Amino acid sequence: MKQVLEGSQAVSEAVRLARVQVVSAYPITPQTHIVEAIADYCATGKLSARFMCVESEHSAMASVIGAASGGARTFTATSGQGLAYMHELLHWASGARLPIVMAEVNRALAPGWNIWVDQTDSLSQRDTGWIQLYCEDGQEVFDTTLMAFRLAEQINLPVMVILDAFLLSHTYEPVDIPDPEQVDSFLPPLTPKIRLDTDNPYALGQMVAPNAYMEMRHDIQQAMQRVRLQWVKIESEFKNGFGRQYGEIEAVHCNDADVVLVVSGTVCSTCRQVLRDLRRQGEKVGMLKIKMLRPFPTENICTILDKIPKVAVIDRNCSFGVGGIFAQEIRSALCNLRPGPQVFSYIAGLGGRDITPESVVEIYQKTKESNQAEQESVWVGLNPDI
Amino acid sequence: MSIITDINDGEPLHISRSRISSRVNKTGSWRYLQPVFSGGMAPCRIACPVGTDMAEMIQLTSQGQYQEAYASVLNENPLPAVCGYVCDHPCEASCNRTHLDTPLAINAIERFVGLQGVYEPTFLDLQSRSSNGRRVAVIGSGPSGLSAAYFLSRLGYSCDVFESEAEPGGLLRWGIPTYRLPRKILQQEIARIQNLDVTIHCHQTVTTEFLQSARKHYQAIFVGCGLGRSVPMQIPGETHALDGLAFLKTVRQGHGTPMDGVSVVVGGGNTALDVARTLMRLGSQTIILYRRRIIDMPGFEKEVAAARQEGVQIKELTIPVKIEQQAGKITVHLQGMAVMDHKSDDGRPSVQPVQDETETMQVARIVTAIGAEADMVWQPFEDQKAIRLSLSHCALTGDEFPIIYGGDIVNRKLRVSDAIASGKQGAMAIDLFLQKKRPDIEGDIARCHLGPGAGISFAHYMAGGNSQPMVSRIVTYDGINPAYFLPAMRLDPAVGNSDNEDLSFTAELSNYTSQTAAKEAGRCFSCGVCTDCDNCGLFCPEIAVFSDENRRIDLDYCKGCGVCVEECPRSAMILQETGYETGA
Repeated sequence: MKQVLEGSQAVSEAVRLARVQVVSAYPITPQTHIVEAIADYCATGKLSARFMCVESEHSAMASVIGAASGGARTFTATSGQGLAYMHELLHWASGARLPIVMAEVNRALAPGWNIWVDQTDSLSQRDTGWIQLYCEDGQEVFDTTLMAFRLAEQINLPVMVILDAFLLSHTYEPVDIPDPEQVDSFLPPLTPKIRLDTDNPYALGQMVAPNAYMEMRHDIQQAMQRVRLQWVKIESEFKNGFGRQYGEIEAVHCNDADVVLVVSGTVCSTCRQVLRDLRRQGEKVGMLKIKMLRPFPTENICTILDKIPKVAVIDRNCSFGVGGIFAQEIRSALCNLRPGPQVFSYIAGLGGRDITPESVVEIYQKTKESNQAEQESVWVGLNPDI
Repeated sequence: MSIITDINDGEPLHISRSRISSRVNKTGSWRYLQPVFSGGMAPCRIACPVGTDMAEMIQLTSQGQYQEAYASVLNENPLPAVCGYVCDHPCEASCNRTHLDTPLAINAIERFVGLQGVYEPTFLDLQSRSSNGRRVAVIGSGPSGLSAAYFLSRLGYSCDVFESEAEPGGLLRWGIPTYRLPRKILQQEIARIQNLDVTIHCHQTVTTEFLQSARKHYQAIFVGCGLGRSVPMQIPGETHALDGLAFLKTVRQGHGTPMDGVSVVVGGGNTALDVARTLMRLGSQTIILYRRRIIDMPGFEKEVAAARQEGVQIKELTIPVKIEQQAGKITVHLQGMAVMDHKSDDGRPSVQPVQDETETMQVARIVTAIGAEADMVWQPFEDQKAIRLSLSHCALTGDEFPIIYGGDIVNRKLRVSDAIASGKQGAMAIDLFLQKKRPDIEGDIARCHLGPGAGISFAHYMAGGNSQPMVSRIVTYDGINPAYFLPAMRLDPAVGNSDNEDLSFTAELSNYTSQTAAKEAGRCFSCGVCTDCDNCGLFCPEIAVFSDENRRIDLDYCKGCGVCVEECPRSAMILQETGYETGA
């Protein structure tokens, strides 16, 4: 049944229907609505789960690591500084191969204090061994959260479901919420592969010497490589039940495009409108939406962008000293193509600044008109008066 | 260490997993700090001159163990029910709960606990030494004398108490009106003390000759004679005034008659307030004259408030300068006073007459209660050279034969609790004097002091603890973990529904039911006292806290993280430096 929900509530509804058993979280804007609703479900019995209030995000992640080691289906959510505070334990969750699902609301990092959208927080954690899935709208947030549990439990790696602060977390949209029975048949109870057992006691996370550590890490890399195949399977099953699928990436009008805009998060929706308008004016523009950042879908991206002359990557983030992070990823994916497209890197919309259709058109025009891509990222929409 | 391979859909899933118990890893070797179950001192106990262990008494009450609570309080206080009625309870003012909501009703709980022994007298096996055959004479059966006899008999001495009046109790019997302290309560408490090796001889006025002959029969004397003689005002016509203490005694003996007309009471202490409130009960309109301001009155604040509520008028900054009596009518000449900038020797503001501020009053009677002093026979004590040793609540004279002076003749504060403290301190001083060849009375008693307060622990003394100091870590509110305590309303004993607004001599304080006493006691933080809540065990990351017989720490595994100490709701644990020894 369709309901008008905030992006945050779409997450909470998915967690409820996933029959999560342990939730632990610490409040932080703009994530708070997610766990607030879950706490309410736990208090009123709508969800039969243990909700653990903790004193920090570090403890929130430690708590779900403990619960997941005990074989429970677990969930947490955070944002910005909270995610940064979890950093050490993000490595632990993946290294211990625990199927934890976390909602991450993209928020700018301080200082200066800023609660608005910016992807630098989640991208700072891209090397922690977590699967990262970026979402465009409320329905996608709901669907992705449900599928994330399937993926995490199949691969035994944790999954981060990522949504833009306010533009998605606090925006109301119609979201189709399926019946619990339908969700139950798609997502059966967790059969944990790792589970502490008091009748057969053992300790987890023990010391590992140089003779074995590297193999454990190789396992994780191999598991990441299996994600894409699993994702296809999960999505096709999901489509059978619910009629929707997203892919690890989505290509729009890329077949004949001279310029392809590479985007992620809510900017995808803005970009779809720009594409429609520019196509009407006869411009040969396409769009590539990146949903999955880890593992990075290199193969698919290469297939789509191979014959495209110019690629413009719009980054709502910055790795200082290099530039846009998605642009780095795209460049590294394309580097062995001959001749391969030119990659233009643009940084826009940091700290909640709007990325308007006009700014997307400006990026398209700049890319179209320049003959040689700059190595440095070009910052779009800087205010000359500041 | 071992690596276990799990099969994950045909793919390897390597995780580090070990079946060797982590107990091989003796994390105790990491420790350089060590948690210790070490009781702290609650601030209420430090504030109490008697040294009552309120935390223990209240904890037992909260658990419904009323007889055990009674036995606990008797360890340190011979008169708990009396204190429950008349004490000004400095304990409550220092209660840590004040920082969260309102202090515990400690005084009402002590009253409830004390009444356990009044209404259901039981045999209590108090910690005592067996008789040593020595005898001590105690002069006066007021609170200090009763206290001295109580503690001396528990130390093995046989005591004879000499009382000049017809019945024992001193100021408790003659000075405190029955509406503040019911007769039966006092009688039962005294009877309990008489069950020990204590004989009270009434109608025995002590003379200098008696004191001389007493040396033959006794090994020591405790003098707690109180201040039996009123201080004169030294103004013309003073003979027309009634003496306050004598007036209270007459009423207490049952000779109080209804009085009409206006009465004037001179003074600002508890006796003046008792006289005024008694006069109101006998039907007289009453005015108190006090030389300083109301805020300077030495009487307990709650007594001042009660008196004013009952209709007693207080005329501050006023003294009588002359009294005339003519044809049954009394005329009092009054002089207005003003507060000066400088303070007098005792720290109170100085006052001085104001010229022209004079008036006269026609009254039915005038009663004085401006203070009291010791009778003539105790004047040797006034000779400061005779004092060998001056302690906080008593003074010792005599080189061979110890005479200890206590109670109001020594104490700076004239409270019942201080008088009881005198008796306890005096008993210890006598015991040390007689037991040791070269006694360090001052040092031994100091080692039984409760923190920086005036209170002394008799239990610590009995346990031979006078050789080592008391644990004196004071638990302040900083030591309380407020995460574990919710605000809860203070429960005072329900006051009976009295439509009758007439003042009477029946007890004004009401008492708890068992249920409300336990409920109010449940609000206590139990500062510094382990309640077996097991929070330390719950939080210990090494599962190193055990509570088999006594709560203890398994030092093989305690890594000294201090989480237990941090999470203890009531500071019953401390973290100590250990040096670098290993736990193995």
